[in-house]
Amino acid sequence: MKRLTYLTCTLAVAVMVAAMTGWSMAAGNFLVPVIAIPLGIIVILACRRNVQEVICDERLNKVHSKAALRTLEVIVIAGAIAAVILYSFMISDTLSPKVTGRVYTGEDGSRSMVINLYKPGSPETAENLIRTTTIKNINAMNEFEAMDYCQFRREAFLENERKGIAGMTIGIGIISLLATFGAFYLYYDRKY
Amino acid sequence: MKNRIKVLRAEHDMTQEELAELVGVTRNTIISIEKDKYCPSLKLGYRIARTFGVGIDEVFAYEEDKDGPSSSDDD
Repeated sequence: MKRLTYLTCTLAVAVMVAAMTGWSMAAGNFLVPVIAIPLGIIVILACRRNVQEVICDERLNKVHSKAALRTLEVIVIAGAIAAVILYSFMISDTLSPKVTGRVYTGEDGSRSMVINLYKPGSPETAENLIRTTTIKNINAMNEFEAMDYCQFRREAFLENERKGIAGMTIGIGIISLLATFGAFYLYYDRKY
Repeated sequence: MKNRIKVLRAEHDMTQEELAELVGVTRNTIISIEKDKYCPSLKLGYRIARTFGVGIDEVFAYEEDKDGPSSSDDD
């Protein structure tokens, strides 16, 4: 078998396995991937054994290892920057929406409160207003008003919290990546 | 690292594909070695030399880099 034939076979098998796995997952049949994936690997390995030409040599190995190392470097640097930027959305005051509250006293002596939410880093003007809510009597807030207020606060910071969680996820991912790479590095450093 | 692979191939009337097959690498690797873009391992160097029936120093010649011994062409 020639190298090109082997690559074509590999591609065809990969497409078939992906299609079967996708279809079976969508149909709720989890037995198909368990059979299809190992079968696909066996077919590819069988094809690989029959290739007469050299598939991989020392130069290609070197290229692959260097590429992997560079990829790791780029991902770690870019990921670290992204993690810091995203996490800052959760802890930074300037990047968080600005919440203001104003208390009004009614004729009957009851106090109401208007809470406004403005875009981050923008002046408190009507065009920068994201949403607003009013608590009619802050001394006697009923259950629905309390729930409404809680919902208001939660939704206000939801976007920032999402970004923060994404930042933390990337950060933890990079730490895991570095730990794994470090472990392998120490292993191979001792071995060779 | 300079090499005489192209000359030796011509002398032995051998194509890059044939040499690659004999030493167990891809044709692209032979092309890269001939163009001094890739420095082969000692093992591959010996295999190439043995294929031509000559010593390794007749195939490869080390030349000091202009930038000094610490410089590398591997990057």
